Amino acid sequence: MHIRRFNRIQRLSHLFLVVTFLIQSGTGFGRLYITTDFGRSLCRLFGGYEAAIVIHFWVGVAMMAGFGGHILYLLKRIDRKDPVKSIMGPDSLVPGPQDGQHMFQRILWTFGLGSHPKLDRWAYWEKFDYWAVFWGLPLLAVTGVMLRFPVWTSIILPGWVLNIAALLHRAEAILAASFIFIVHFFIGHIRPTSFPMNEAMFSGSVHLEEAIHEKPLWVERLKKDGKFEQQKAKPPALWYRVLYYIFGYTALGFGLYILVNGIIYGRYIELH
Amino acid sequence: MRMRVAYLGGVLPVLMSLSLLLTVLPEQVLAQGEVTSKIYRYRERVASGYYEGYEVSPRRQRARVAIPGTPRGTFPFGTASSAVRLRSRLPDSHRGLKFYERTTCIECHPREARDLHSTRADITCRQCHGPEPIAAIDHYYSPMNSIRRYAYICSKCHEGATVNFADFYVHEPPAGSLETWKSFPVLFVAYWGMLLLLVGTLAFFVPHALMVGARELTETRAFRIPRLITGHLFESLKQGFRSNKGKRSKKKKARADEGNNAH
Ligand code: HEC
Ligand code: HEC
Ligand code: HEC
Repeated sequence: MHIRRFNRIQRLSHLFLVVTFLIQSGTGFGRLYITTDFGRSLCRLFGGYEAAIVIHFWVGVAMMAGFGGHILYLLKRIDRKDPVKSIMGPDSLVPGPQDGQHMFQRILWTFGLGSHPKLDRWAYWEKFDYWAVFWGLPLLAVTGVMLRFPVWTSIILPGWVLNIAALLHRAEAILAASFIFIVHFFIGHIRPTSFPMNEAMFSGSVHLEEAIHEKPLWVERLKKDGKFEQQKAKPPALWYRVLYYIFGYTALGFGLYILVNGIIYGRYIELH
Repeated sequence: MRMRVAYLGGVLPVLMSLSLLLTVLPEQVLAQGEVTSKIYRYRERVASGYYEGYEVSPRRQRARVAIPGTPRGTFPFGTASSAVRLRSRLPDSHRGLKFYERTTCIECHPREARDLHSTRADITCRQCHGPEPIAAIDHYYSPMNSIRRYAYICSKCHEGATVNFADFYVHEPPAGSLETWKSFPVLFVAYWGMLLLLVGTLAFFVPHALMVGARELTETRAFRIPRLITGHLFESLKQGFRSNKGKRSKKKKARADEGNNAH
């Protein structure tokens, strides 16, 4: 039996983020590494150095629009009657003190000390994933627009702000890409609980068994609130699974390609 | 045990095919050599004046702008240290420098060649610094002087550039160096802040994720592989792609109850 974990909007948002993130990585790192063979072949994929920045800019605009849409979605999801509970409660991604506790407990557990923490709907690492994007995206958007229109920006701000913007844009991009391509991919694909792929974000549902194993408090809470029945879901169809397996592994391969080459060619570029 | 074998039997081929993929994807050249930018190959190796003759001074004309009364000749101000201090105001910043004619800009100013304009946009030094003589940045009549740089230099390419715009540090100092802490502290702080964030995040999450992975290897319940092989995929194949209920979900329910009782 499956239980529902992500609704359609959430899955579409994630899919959108995957596609746009990979395009931004390809075009962005292609330009950053343009003095190397790696950068040139990446840029060639997107039509060259000049075309890459056009794509990079418009995909960035799409991401900003997506972010705006996400904010509207968040506002809509806040329960007007009880905003505190819906923002700070267990169904929210806002971190609370229990997350620190869970992290500490889980670290001990990896050393074989104590038991695994009983997690609710969102684990601390999932919250970290979410907030990393949440602050990274606006930072990249603002600095990106500044660099795309340096003359306009300098009407208001002194020119040296562009030096800072360029540095932040690059550093944040490297931070985001390395986190996604190493940690997020490892958690989503490689670790035993997920291998060969954590399907929840694509199918929208998880095995009940898995939910009980990973998120016992969540299942308990659903049962207690009487929401368990309506949370039941059909398992994903086979064709759909095959589809998102192909998609997931394509994304993984592309990310790894950028990561490995980025590290290899790292010494040929200037980061500031 | 069987599950661990199944997991390893699954994870190894995946990792192997991913690394294979990396070799199939374009141009994985490990021994790229020290030359990264093709245009630099010439700049660094060839000082014959053939490729970029305009960057090797012909030294025929005299300084067009000169401070009245400044002595001319080799090292007019004596010691090297005073020369460095004073060159920033000279009409010809290379006055009296030996071997200037036969050398490219980059050989003497390697750091200045590493900015975005030079490396990525392939813009030559002279497109900004102009022909001989190359006035020092702060020389009063220099087109590079910050009072007119935006109009004389930047707006050649950046239409509508303002004084503010010319405030941009074309030759950014190395962001991480202590020197930058004095000359451009915001850049220094931004650099180290972001580096710390990057290193901190990865230094925590990479070992943490690996430790979790390793720990899960010891937990039979954590494995997804058995579910994958015996589970849904297999059964739906068997049942002709129809979604399955039946004995599996019964088993699941039993497990679920067991799980609940455990709490
Ligand atoms: C023989 C070595 C040499 C070559 C070749 C050379 N420079 Fe210089 N340059 C110097 C030295 C030494 C100084 C004075 C010290 C300083 O300010 O860094 C200087 C100063 C300058 C300055 C003024 C710096 C200031 O503080 O205002 C500029 C601008 C400059 N060079 C640009 C160029 C350009 C452009 C080229 C190529 C056409 C070039 N240089 C080629 C050695 C060289
Ligand atoms: C986009 C225009 C531009 C280009 C291209 C350019 N410079 Fe400069 N250069 C400047 C400006 C503006 C300054 C003033 C200081 C600053 O903003 O960094 C400067 C300053 C300098 C200085 C003074 C010391 C310093 O770092 O502040 C030297 C030396 C110099 N340039 C050498 C070169 C050489 C060599 C090249 C070619 C590789 C080159 N420049 C290419 C715009 C340019
Ligand atoms: C010969 C033409 C030329 C001149 C002169 C020139 N630039 Fe540029 N500049 C470019 C080009 C081309 C780019 C785009 C580089 C790229 O995107 O790879 C650029 C990009 C920039 C950027 C965006 C940087 C970024 O990180 O994306 C800034 C800021 C800038 N220039 C400032 C200046 C300033 C300040 C001056 C005057 C001292 C100047 N430029 C003079 C051609 C020029």
